[in-house]
Amino acid sequence: MSGDALLHIKNLRTSFLMSDGVVQAVRGVDLSVKRGEFLGIVGESGCGKSVTMLSVMGLLPDNAAIKADTLTFDGKDLLSASPREMRSIHGDEIGMIFQDPMTSLDPLFTIGNQLMEPLRIHRKMSASEAERRAAETLEMVGISSPAQRLKQYPHEFSGGMRQRVMIAIAMSCSPKLLIADEPTTALDVTIQAQILELMKDMKEKSGTAVVLITHDLGVIASVCSRVVVMYGGLIMEEGECGDIFYDPLHPYTKGLLASVSGMGSGEKKKLVPIPGSPPDLMNPPDGCPFAARCAFAMKICAAATPKLTNRGGRLAACWMLRRKLTA
Amino acid sequence: MNGELLKISDLKMYFRVRDVSSWLGAHRSLKAVDGVSFGIGRGRTFGLVGESGCGKTTVGRTALRLYRPTDGSIIFDGADIAGLSDKEFFPYRRKMQMIFQDPFTSLDPRQTVGDIIGTPLTVHHLVSNRSERAERVKELINMVGLRSDHIGRYPHEFSGGQRQRIGIARALATMPEFIVCDEPVSALDVSIQAQIINLLEEFQEKFGITYLFISHDLSVVRHISHRVGVMYLGRLVEAGEVNELYENMLHPYTKSLMSAVPAADPEAAKTRRRIILEGDVPSPLDPPSGCPFRTRCREASAVCAEQTPPLVDVRSGHMAACHKLSIKG
Ligand SMILES: Nc1ncnc2c1ncn2[C@@H]1O[C@H](COP(=O)(O)OP(=O)(O)OP(=O)(O)O)[C@@H](O)[C@H]1O
Ligand SMILES: Nc1ncnc2c1ncn2[C@@H]1O[C@H](COP(=O)(O)OP(=O)(O)OP(=O)(O)O)[C@@H](O)[C@H]1O
Ligand SMILES: [Mg+2]
Ligand SMILES: [Mg+2]
Repeated sequence: MSGDALLHIKNLRTSFLMSDGVVQAVRGVDLSVKRGEFLGIVGESGCGKSVTMLSVMGLLPDNAAIKADTLTFDGKDLLSASPREMRSIHGDEIGMIFQDPMTSLDPLFTIGNQLMEPLRIHRKMSASEAERRAAETLEMVGISSPAQRLKQYPHEFSGGMRQRVMIAIAMSCSPKLLIADEPTTALDVTIQAQILELMKDMKEKSGTAVVLITHDLGVIASVCSRVVVMYGGLIMEEGECGDIFYDPLHPYTKGLLASVSGMGSGEKKKLVPIPGSPPDLMNPPDGCPFAARCAFAMKICAAATPKLTNRGGRLAACWMLRRKLTA
Repeated sequence: MNGELLKISDLKMYFRVRDVSSWLGAHRSLKAVDGVSFGIGRGRTFGLVGESGCGKTTVGRTALRLYRPTDGSIIFDGADIAGLSDKEFFPYRRKMQMIFQDPFTSLDPRQTVGDIIGTPLTVHHLVSNRSERAERVKELINMVGLRSDHIGRYPHEFSGGQRQRIGIARALATMPEFIVCDEPVSALDVSIQAQIINLLEEFQEKFGITYLFISHDLSVVRHISHRVGVMYLGRLVEAGEVNELYENMLHPYTKSLMSAVPAADPEAAKTRRRIILEGDVPSPLDPPSGCPFRTRCREASAVCAEQTPPLVDVRSGHMAACHKLSIKG
C-alpha cells in the first residue's frame, strides 16, 4: 500500500498448534502504521488483537506459526530478522506495553533495575544517569516517592502501579513505534488521562507512532485518529475515528457501539450483550466470522468471507456493502 | 435489608518496606489502608472506587484474610475473622472467594482450565463423582462465554480477557456467600462486560451472593452497586447509596474523579471540561498531615492540615470526610 509506512503488515496469519487441532488466531490481517500516527485497535475479547502485535515482535511461544506476505518495520524485514536483531529492536525502536504486567516484569529484580536496563543497554547511560532518568519517568507516570519506589519489587506495587511501570519502561527510550496493549485497563480515569497525555506528547516531540489496543471506546475516541475493528482473527472495518464512531459501516461495529450505552445511568436495566458467541477458531467458518450473530446476514455471508473493500475511502469487510457497490 | 454479612471497622493494613535512606537496612511502614470502616448487607453489592494505589485491592485482600490486618475488626456472618489462625479460618475459605485483578498470576500455569475450576469443587465436596464435576465445569465455562473445548487448555493459551473469565468461573464455582471482585471486567470489551455483569447479578438474585466490587470504571460501579465507597490514600472519604452519591457528590475528591470520565465520542472529547487535579499524588509512605486530600484540594483551608476529618453521616446514610461539610453542617 503505502511506501512511507513505519510498520507494514500484509496477509498476516498466525496459528497455534495444539494437541487437538490448530487454533487460527489471526487469519489474514493487513495493517499499515504511518510514522507519528495514533492508531487504535478494538474488538471482542479473543479476536486476535494481542496475537497480531505479538507476531510482529516475534514474541509468541514455540507452538505458534507466523506467516505473512510482508512484515516490515522501518524498511527492515522482520520475518527474516534473527532473534538477536529482534532483541535490539525491541525496547529501543519498538516499545511494547504488554497486557500482562506481572508476566513481563521480573519478580526477582527491583523496579529500578528494570527501568534502568533499557537505558543502559540502548542509550548507553551511566548507572547514576540511568537512575536519575528512571526516577523522573516514575514521577511522570504519577508514582510518588520515586527514590524509595525504585528499590521496591513488583509485588509491592498495586495493579495500576505495575501497569504504569511497564508504560514507563516502554516509553523510556522514545521508540519510533509504541505498541500499547490495554495499557490503561487498571487505571482510574485521572491517571489514564495523564498517561494518554504523555503518549500524545511523545508523539508530538519524538514523532513516535502509537498502536493502542483497547476495548475502551472512550479512550479510542479521546486520542486515536484512525481505528481498526477486528473480529474472529480478521479486520472488519478500518477508518478515521470520527467515521467509525458516527457512521459505522459494519454491523459488528454498530453492535459494538450500541452496547456501550445503557450503563452508567441511574436506572437499573439489564445490559444487552451482542447475542451469540464468537467463532471457534479451531474450525473457523467459511464465511464472514460475524455472520452467525449478524441481524443482517444473507446466504452468501455464511458461504464466503467478504474482503476488506474500499468504499469512498472507507474500508469494511461486509457483503452488504459489496452488494451496494456492484448494484 | 436482612442484616450485614460483612462489617469492617477501623481496618488498618501497614506493610513493612525497606527504608532506602537508611544504611542499616531499617524498615518503615507503608500505610496502604489506614482506618477504613464499612458494612455490606447480605445479598448486596458495595462498590469501591478510587485512584490507582489508594488501597482498594489491599482492603479486598485483607477482608478475605489473604493478609493479616495490622489492626481493626472484620466481622463476617457474626464472627470476627481478623484474628483467626489459618486453620480456624479454613471453613470460611469456601464461603469467601476472590476474582483477582491480575488473572494470570492467580492461575496455576501447570493446571488445565478444567482442573483450575474443578479442583475446588472436589476439595469442598461439592460434586460426588467425576462426571458430575465435568458437567459442572462445562456449565461454568459456558456461563462466562468460553467454549467447552477450552477446558483442556492451559492459562497461557488464552487471551487476556479469556483469562479474566476463567478467574470469574473459578470464583463462582464453590457457590460462595461473598466474593471480592477486583476489577473483574476491566480487560473485557463492552459486550462481554455486559454478559459478565448480568451473570454476577443473576447469581446475586438467585443465591443471594454479596459482592465487594472494586473497579475504576465508574459507570460499571454505578450499574452494579447498591452502595459505593470512594477511597483516597488508604482512607474512605465518601460513601453512600449509589444514586444519592452519584447525584449529590459531597467530597471535592469525588467530584474531580467523576469529572474525568472519557466519553465514547470523539467530538465530546475535544470540548469536555475536566477538573484537573493539581499537585503531586501524595505517597502512602509519607502521607500529608490532616486530610489526605488537602494537598490537591482547591477548597483546603488551615484546619485541613491540622486535623484529619472523620467520616460523618451528612445526610441519612450519605457519609463524607471533609472539614467543609462539618463546618457548614
Ligand atoms: N499460546 C496460545 N495457544 C493457543 N491459543 C492461543 C494462544 N494465545 C492466544 N490464543 C488464542 O488466540 C485467540 C486470539 O488471542 P488474542 O490474545 O490475540 O486475543 P485478544 O484480541 O488480545 O483478546 P483480549 O481482548 O481478551 O486480550 C484467542 O481465541 C486465544 O484463545
Ligand atoms: N505486598 C505489599 N508490600 C508492600 N506494599 C504494598 C503491598 N501491596 C500493596 N502495597 C502498597 O499499598 C498501596 C495500595 O496498594 P493496592 O494494591 O491496595 O492499591 P489499589 O487501590 O488496588 O490500586 P490499583 O487500582 O492500582 O490496583 C500501594 O502504595 C502499594 O504500593
Ligand atoms: Mg489481548
Ligand atoms: Mg488493585
